[in-house]
Amino acid sequence: MAEPVADLKRTYDAVVIGSGAAGGMACHVLTSRGMKVLLLEAGKKLPIEAEIRSMQWPYDHPRRGQPPADHHALTYPEYNLRTPPYGVGFEKYKHVHSYVGRNDYVKNIVVDERENPYTGTNYAWVRARCLGGKTNIWGKLALRFSDYDFRAKSRDGYGEDWPISYDDLSPYYDKVDLYLGITGVKENLPQIPDSIFQRPTKLNCAEVVLKQSLQKMDVTLTQYRAGVTSDGLKHNKYRSKCFGRGACERHGGCDIHAQFDSPTGLIYPASDTGNLTIRTNAVAREITVDPNTGKASGVHFVDSLTLQDYNVRAKVVIVAASTLESARLLLLSKSHFYPNGIGNSSGHVGHNLCEHVMGGGLVGQAKNLIGKSSTNDDGRPGGFYIARFRNLKTKNPNFIRGYGIEGDAGQGMFPHIVNSSGFGAEFKEEVRNNRGSYISMGAFGEVLARYENYVDLDPQVKDKWGIPALRFHYKFGDNEHRMLADMKQTSREMFEAAGFEVISADERILTEGASIHEVGTARMGSDPKKSVLNQFEQSHDVKNLFVVDGSSFVNSSCNNPTWTIMALCWRSCDYLADEFGKGNL
Amino acid sequence: MSTDSSKTPKYNRRQWLKGSGTVLGASLLPISISKTASAAKTTATKVETAESIGRFLTPAEYAFVDELAEMIIPADSHSGGAKAAQVVAYVDQMLRESVDESRRTDFREGLRLLDAMIRHQSGKSFVASSPDERAAILTVLSNNISSDLPEARFFREIRQLTIRGYYTSKIGIHDDLDYRGNTMIDEFVGCDDPPEAHKT
Repeated sequence: MAEPVADLKRTYDAVVIGSGAAGGMACHVLTSRGMKVLLLEAGKKLPIEAEIRSMQWPYDHPRRGQPPADHHALTYPEYNLRTPPYGVGFEKYKHVHSYVGRNDYVKNIVVDERENPYTGTNYAWVRARCLGGKTNIWGKLALRFSDYDFRAKSRDGYGEDWPISYDDLSPYYDKVDLYLGITGVKENLPQIPDSIFQRPTKLNCAEVVLKQSLQKMDVTLTQYRAGVTSDGLKHNKYRSKCFGRGACERHGGCDIHAQFDSPTGLIYPASDTGNLTIRTNAVAREITVDPNTGKASGVHFVDSLTLQDYNVRAKVVIVAASTLESARLLLLSKSHFYPNGIGNSSGHVGHNLCEHVMGGGLVGQAKNLIGKSSTNDDGRPGGFYIARFRNLKTKNPNFIRGYGIEGDAGQGMFPHIVNSSGFGAEFKEEVRNNRGSYISMGAFGEVLARYENYVDLDPQVKDKWGIPALRFHYKFGDNEHRMLADMKQTSREMFEAAGFEVISADERILTEGASIHEVGTARMGSDPKKSVLNQFEQSHDVKNLFVVDGSSFVNSSCNNPTWTIMALCWRSCDYLADEFGKGNL
Repeated sequence: MSTDSSKTPKYNRRQWLKGSGTVLGASLLPISISKTASAAKTTATKVETAESIGRFLTPAEYAFVDELAEMIIPADSHSGGAKAAQVVAYVDQMLRESVDESRRTDFREGLRLLDAMIRHQSGKSFVASSPDERAAILTVLSNNISSDLPEARFFREIRQLTIRGYYTSKIGIHDDLDYRGNTMIDEFVGCDDPPEAHKT
């Protein structure tokens, strides 16, 4: 595939900033509608199969899968105690990564934290700068949102409703399912509407026990709904069907691309239309504005390697740089027309930041599985998901909204070792006998969208390219803490009811940001005073400016965001292409 | 994908096992226990040897750690232990490559303290002590593992390194735990498939 070189003298129909789930989807939809698109990605195009090496055994890796000793991945305590650039004790590391950078296979995918500083309240911000962004290593839980989310304010009075309902988005979820592939089982649950599923994975024995036990509590446990093609996709030559190697579970990423990633799922097929040009190593620093019309005119970017500045012109600018980077770019784009940043007449850009609060982590043991012979429990893209059960038919007195629980049971490659002091023959035998008997899970709950939770630009600190850093003003509130208490207690009750012995319980609330599900910094709405975008993720202020990533979300739901980012983006880009064709942009 | 069954890790493991005993045994011959029992006396000259062969641990320390790791995860009737899995090589590499100089210093000091403990108890060095004498000392360390004393910190370190090194080795993954994953499968395995059907 010969890749065209970016032509900075022409005016593209559209420029897309960011190549993750949203940017990839924008490229797919717009190029298929015949628009000439330039895609800007801040990072490199990596030889991704060589990075991920999905099936490499630990003993075939020079450090058993660990990154070089001068690379350091931050831990939750370090996030809680320090802020960038981390200070004393960290000088000895050549590279510092976010907590996801714990293994050698992702060290070039996630950013170097010191090149990309941020300030303010403690936040575990995970960024991936490379073609495809975080989709190269995402957790792949692919859930739909429902009217419990889109109409949340109508139900409990808090926050804002979305300017769309499930019926508006449902046809686009279907398109995403069919174009990218998803595995799961139909459950007919209103809080996680069914997708058009391919061949499902299977639950193992401890998971079946938990599922049956939960049925008595009117709670549904279902197979992990993974954004993975289990039957293959005839229309996509870049992706194989899943062969159950379980590699994605062990260290993230899939070198046969059964797991959705933006490059093979969206960007390469878009390139094949002949309508897409990709410019990597392009760090956007400003959306430029036509001084006569006030419309967006293009993007000012810096080459991440040469540090040289460039301008590119486009008729439509589409921001898809991730929730936090997109907000940063809008705020950076100050001009005579837009002194507070482009598209920010409402003052809501950067505000209403929300994500998922993680807690209630639990390890249990199924005593009847001790000493059993081995089973292949990690030959699948995921274990189980327990759908939200709070505040659906009844009201919880302590908190609003809800949480879902992810987990899995059985034997992994590296044994789960509970014994923290033992040694010798007994210890070895205990590890062996217990290897397939553990079950673990953890909850993801909705963080309420609050205006007071926001990001802005730091007045002093700049990144490696001289671009002002983001400053966080973000804390969990009372609702999240009360929800966490329920997560911990209810998870324990679930295990005990299923007959599992609780082996260990994580009492922590994980650091803000740890979910990597941040959304909401340029929310949609029908009132331009209280929102940044309309229902088509189009700026209320600048009609040829669209923000198509998680920024547009009105709340975070407790369901994982990626599938909704892509369904919304598809819908918005259909509208965009229609309007472009009519000359309305 | 049934043609891929010849490439499954299980088959490779069987092949590998046939040769492993002799190969691994041979590699350890130059630093056998009998020769290194008195090596502590000649540490000063051996340090250069360790560096010249690219190791952090001196030959005496290397033999010490080899024995120590084997005490933590020993061979049994089911599978080889830390020695057969060459855990000591992994430990040496992790220490050698660490950017934390104090980690190396602390480890070396830990070895010295452990040796002093066992000499205090049995009058012999660790490598010269019987398995029971070694186990008695490690039991004391295990029972006091959360202490902040350097002895306890050292035990935590060597125990973690041994666990990590052993269970990421061929012997740990395949022989001891009989791990069945990381292979191409035609159909996802679940509880409705009797586990017995997946034995070969």
